Amino acid sequence: MATSTKRIAINCGGGYVPGLNTVVAGATLAARELGWEIVGIHDGYDGLLARENYPDGGLVKFDARAIDNLDGGGSALGTAARNDPFRVRTINADGFVEERDRSDELTESIRAEKIDAVISVVGGSAITGAHALSVAFKLSRKGLRTVCIPKSVENDFAPTRLSFGFNSALSYVTETLDRIRTVARDVRRLAVVEVPGHQAGWLALQSGMAARADVVLIPEIPYDLHRIAARLRDHETAGRGPALIVASEGATAKDDAGGAAPETPISALRKSLSPLADPRFGEGAQVIERSGAVAASLALNLQRLTDIETLPFSLGQLVRSGAPTAVDRQLGLAYGAGAIRALHDGKSEVMVTFQPPDLKFVPLSEAINKVRTVPADSEFVRIARALGICLGD
Amino acid sequence: MTADTPKGLVLNIQHFCTNDGPGIRTTVFLKFCSLRCKWCSNPESIGRKPELAYNPGKCIGKKACGRCLAPPAPEGAMYVVEGADDKVRINWDLASECGEETTALCPTGALYLFGKPMTVDEVLEEAEQDSAFYRESGGGITLSGGECLLQPDFSAALLAEARNRGITTAIETAGNVPWEFMAKVLPHVDTMLHDHKLTDPARHKKWTGVDNTRIKANFKRAYETFTDTRFIARTPLIPGVNDDEDHIRSVLAFIRPHDNVVDYELLPYHRYGESKYGFLGKVYELADFTSPTPESLARLQAIIDGAFGRDGVEKRKPTNEQARPE
Repeated sequence: MATSTKRIAINCGGGYVPGLNTVVAGATLAARELGWEIVGIHDGYDGLLARENYPDGGLVKFDARAIDNLDGGGSALGTAARNDPFRVRTINADGFVEERDRSDELTESIRAEKIDAVISVVGGSAITGAHALSVAFKLSRKGLRTVCIPKSVENDFAPTRLSFGFNSALSYVTETLDRIRTVARDVRRLAVVEVPGHQAGWLALQSGMAARADVVLIPEIPYDLHRIAARLRDHETAGRGPALIVASEGATAKDDAGGAAPETPISALRKSLSPLADPRFGEGAQVIERSGAVAASLALNLQRLTDIETLPFSLGQLVRSGAPTAVDRQLGLAYGAGAIRALHDGKSEVMVTFQPPDLKFVPLSEAINKVRTVPADSEFVRIARALGICLGD
Repeated sequence: MTADTPKGLVLNIQHFCTNDGPGIRTTVFLKFCSLRCKWCSNPESIGRKPELAYNPGKCIGKKACGRCLAPPAPEGAMYVVEGADDKVRINWDLASECGEETTALCPTGALYLFGKPMTVDEVLEEAEQDSAFYRESGGGITLSGGECLLQPDFSAALLAEARNRGITTAIETAGNVPWEFMAKVLPHVDTMLHDHKLTDPARHKKWTGVDNTRIKANFKRAYETFTDTRFIARTPLIPGVNDDEDHIRSVLAFIRPHDNVVDYELLPYHRYGESKYGFLGKVYELADFTSPTPESLARLQAIIDGAFGRDGVEKRKPTNEQARPE
């Protein structure tokens, strides 16, 4: 069903991943074929909510010439890791800092700009979760025509087999693991490398396999520290060079992975007031820790158990930067063009997904909160075990 | 107390505190803050309403329970991930409006709210458990936050009643409130601990969200108006933000003309708040601050000791010792 949609806005929610500009290019080129206009909103929705901060008024028009000048890397539209139209920080009339819901103002501004629909590139991280997708979902419930495109260096969106950004991150991490292994051998230490993956271990597992790591730890398989230590001692006894451990930032030890905390005698009042009244609660498991905490903790504990000197690394934000690979360029262009196709077909409140060999459109209500984890019986896990990689269990 | 006594939104009541005023004290943390300091270690204290919190250790999972995965919980607020671990996870963006109707679904207390409305009597009943320690140490009750002056009616009523019961009173404040709020509470306060976070107004705004023009005006007016109140200035010392001699000297120049400002304390920053951001699901905004070195702390402390006429050779007595009533 063709529609009369003519002016489409595009923005990037969440943080940077390689390939953002290719999505903009894909959408612009596909829109041009339909005679549609594409405008970009700077920094999530800040371009419309804080126009005074932008010399171009917060909106940038993309045409073929503008696309010619877009680099493969970078993001012409900026990013919005912490921006949220439902919680805009402001100073109120009383001089208090507060967060205000400006979503109605935003939708009105979109209408005033005669924007028919918004394409939002959404993604998450350990820190922000699927924040941008949630924002898009809430705006769609307010009547905004929305199409979302999944980006994730962790490849943890369940509706799509491949989020763009993942392939670039995988290439970078694999190359970096090779370098770290060389350094670790040079200084004769056990390298422990933490990579993004708070809920899903695809990046650690696939890069670990590619770099022929000795141990790979992922959130889906709680690890036994003593079992890993035994494996490392065997490795050393066999006269091999220092081992390489790759760990997702969400990897947890078996002891931390489950089981309700036993009840402790605390007065009902104190319990109701604050979890800090519960002595077991203060520094509990599954807390989002700062990047590097897993590598540092693992390195320390393994050194204590094995007396092998360790060398912890956290790749952290570096993984999310850089230029896209050829795969991500194709994928970004395809997702951008796919979003235009969805709008041309009259679709809204959908996410463009790649389900090889097709692009498909999944309702946002079915995409939200769907995390693509590594199944315990997946082929990747079987191959890793067949290669002798210790998964910590 | 009468039935129409105001209720306060209380975050926590902490016993046996030794750094929140003279002696051993019970500190009552009130919710709601008018600043957004980038080093804040109490993110759960910021919002003005009760906020959802989650203790995954207490969740028994979807198979055994799963009650919070359906209405009246908001759509998409809670979910589970496929796999062996079927504990509930929270989409904090979609869970922002969760209240008692949601936490009531949870039979194990994994879901609960930060912030509880309490009466003056309820707070004092809890605080008076420590009354023997107050008497022996010269301690009492301290209101903290958040910003306790943002609930002026409740704070004034609570502190007035505490005094009626023979308990000494203190507050901790950052001072970013209308003067009327401060004027309402201070008549019931024995000791006011107050923050001088940064000197330069623009830098103050950069790091806390507002400039310090009103804050400094409030403090000066308080020193001059409430001459019987004991004031203790404080600076949370954040390396790279305010650990410079100029700031310390500027604060000293501001407070020293006032005899009722009896001390100036440095509070070295420690990274305590991190895990709580995870529990609240806040986007992690804490910048990557470090703690001040002992050398830096000693250097700045020596400037303060010099200004207060302390010799700087003997270890300075803790403030609670200095401020203890004779």
